[in-house]
Amino acid sequence: MSVVAFDGTTTRLPEPSSQLSRLARRYGWTAGVAVLLAVLLGWRISQLPDFGDFEIRTITAGTMSLAFLAMAQAVIVISGGIDLSVGSMMVLANCLSAMWMEDQDLAACLALAVLVLVVTTALSTVTGVIITASGVPDIIVTLAASFILAGLALFAIGGPGGGTSPDFQEILAGGLSNYWPSILWMVGAIVLVWIPLRRSRLGLAIYALGSNRKSAFLSGVRIARTRVLAYSIGGLFAGFAGLVVTASTGGGEPRATIGTNATLNSVAAVVLGGVALTGGVGGLVGPVLAALCLTLIPAIMLGLGWDPSNAETARGVIIILVVLVAGLLQSRKRPV
Amino acid sequence: MTESLLHTSAVAKTFGTVVALRAVDLDVRPGEVHALLGANGAGKSTLVKILTGVLRPDAGLVAIHGEPAHFRRPSDALARGLAPVYQDPAMAPDLTVAENLRLTNADRDAVRAQLAAMDLDGLDFGEYVRDVPLPFLRMLDLARALAFDPQLLLLDEITAALPPDLSERVFEVMRQWKARNRSVLFISHRLAEVREHCDMCTVLRDGQNVASFVPGEGGEAQIVASMLGEAATKVRDEARVRSATAAAVGERPMLQAEHLGAGRQLHDVSLSVHPGEVLGLVALEGQGQDTLFDILAGDRKAERGRILIDNAPVKPRHPFDVIRRGVVFVPSDRLHALLPQRSVRENIAAPLFNRVTSWGPINGREERRRVREAVDRLSIDLRAASQVRRLSGGNQQKVTIARWLARGLRVMLLFDPTRGIDVGTKHQVYDLVRALADEGAAILMFTSELREVALVCDRAAVLHNGRIVAELPSDAGENALLSAAHGLAEVSAS
Repeated sequence: MSVVAFDGTTTRLPEPSSQLSRLARRYGWTAGVAVLLAVLLGWRISQLPDFGDFEIRTITAGTMSLAFLAMAQAVIVISGGIDLSVGSMMVLANCLSAMWMEDQDLAACLALAVLVLVVTTALSTVTGVIITASGVPDIIVTLAASFILAGLALFAIGGPGGGTSPDFQEILAGGLSNYWPSILWMVGAIVLVWIPLRRSRLGLAIYALGSNRKSAFLSGVRIARTRVLAYSIGGLFAGFAGLVVTASTGGGEPRATIGTNATLNSVAAVVLGGVALTGGVGGLVGPVLAALCLTLIPAIMLGLGWDPSNAETARGVIIILVVLVAGLLQSRKRPV
Repeated sequence: MTESLLHTSAVAKTFGTVVALRAVDLDVRPGEVHALLGANGAGKSTLVKILTGVLRPDAGLVAIHGEPAHFRRPSDALARGLAPVYQDPAMAPDLTVAENLRLTNADRDAVRAQLAAMDLDGLDFGEYVRDVPLPFLRMLDLARALAFDPQLLLLDEITAALPPDLSERVFEVMRQWKARNRSVLFISHRLAEVREHCDMCTVLRDGQNVASFVPGEGGEAQIVASMLGEAATKVRDEARVRSATAAAVGERPMLQAEHLGAGRQLHDVSLSVHPGEVLGLVALEGQGQDTLFDILAGDRKAERGRILIDNAPVKPRHPFDVIRRGVVFVPSDRLHALLPQRSVRENIAAPLFNRVTSWGPINGREERRRVREAVDRLSIDLRAASQVRRLSGGNQQKVTIARWLARGLRVMLLFDPTRGIDVGTKHQVYDLVRALADEGAAILMFTSELREVALVCDRAAVLHNGRIVAELPSDAGENALLSAAHGLAEVSAS
């Protein structure tokens, strides 16, 4: 990083920063999380003597709902907001789909899945509209929304129940040892939804908004519309997370604590995945990798024979350590 | 009479109970460089925001080439040929330059061509905006505005952050625009620039336009007089500010720096400030003055050298370590020093709590008395007192100084205290600095306005490339200061 220096009276242009430092800035954190994931995966494999397709599928399918929830949260956090209702949205999508899909065939289930996604996207859009129109802070509106959505879920299904077509389960979560569907859905969401979005004007606007709302406005970004759209995208991903829950459990479960837990996990995955809570920084790949890490950690701890409560503690400690170390590395990179 | 390019009549805007604009009539003709002048809080920024679609006026008319224009957002103004360069950089820091340009639909090749015309074509568009130094960011903002080929270019304080050679390129752009029969609306606190480069000026005061004239004819006196209105009579002869310096300068230095150095900016700085004295520090942009002040204020550790306060060596680890000894810092970025959402009273009282309370609740009466004294002394405008961020820049600066007055001080470090402040408030700050020195405070003041050295200071130290290269009497003259600041007094280290 160069300093504006006077040479006589001529101000010279700064030296451009190196390609490497730019790559590090853009992909450094994601690469770090990938390394962490590789280490954890290696550890888990060493714990299980006959590690195979079944175990891979357990990890990928077990992570998928959190991964999609983390994507939902990431888009919103990048835009400079936060959504405490993603978990409840997932529960609602789970309950609605389980209720509607019971005893239906695959074609009907797929159609209903689309309908569920439309509903969650619409609800999340409404949340976004309320936030931008009212000026009430997003954290409050989405907290209130989380209660409403949890209530709606319980009201709709009444209690644990519902069902879905086994073919639908197969397609979304894969059979007992088939890990491909879960991996393809996650990769597909990133390649087919996120990357085109990231490159579009809307994607740029979302980043600009989170980076500095005022300069985004002065650059001609439609602030309110972009914020709402970020929530809409979040609603889409959260709805998909709910479908995944239906597919992997085969039923609907309206317990509110599932939603709150999932919301907190999504925030953890986003932070661990390198999305700055102040907005404007990060992507979706990091949070997905982080979600995989968060699923692996308790499994490894249990494999070590730890008490589940200690495993939770260890997960928290690891989050703090990773964020701390990454923060230190980044602050050292700051130009002198 | 030629048709005007931009015309506003009776434009008004209020924010809650605060009237920002009462009624502004403005006329900018084609081929004219038009200056918009006014003291802080006169309404310049509000008018610019209305003209560029950031704000909507409550009443009044904006017309372009005689046709009414209703801007709902910045892109509307752009579409009608009004391109602004705002006071604050309008680029998202976490995106690259290229991404920012794409966001505004600016043509990259056109921007590059404009940069090339300003001799800045080496700028890498893959760079993150966060990594581009501020002066070049301003030039980039300008190039982006020019790339839209606007009828009217609005430049809001663009030269404030620019070194002289880059400012000169901005003026060149203004001349070109004029030659093409297009117009520029130019806002600057630097009256010399206005006199030299503007064909016409409109002066705002209290949300109204009070005068329009050719700035080159009347001279600075007329400009200042119309900016200040009634208050103009109170602006004294500048030379008299310093004559008040009757108090003897103390024998022992109150603050000493010995061979201070840190990082790549600061190499070797030794200076001493005595009680009753104002030492001016003069430097061009980026010569290490920021680092020096951060170190003296206890915000950053010195890697080499030492600091003595009242002859006792101090190794500050935290600003509190020096504040405790009566050394206080007034940074140039006001909102950096203040609590923007809190009231004037709380802001002034914040550094006071260490003193007023022992353990236990805050002594409200004592707090109010000290705050009132400080407010009175600085004649702070309390109309928007409930939140400091709503005050004008000049009043905010007064609050940053007032909070230290209320607390009491022995050494004051002032970093460009009058940057972006109107002329009237500037004089109040000068008076205050002198008065503080006369009461026995030792003052170190960095200034980017050379004439302030003669106005306020007793001596001047010149910083170049992280070293003190000269110490001059305050009446050495601006030319001597300027050449020293360029490192011409001795062989340049670079």
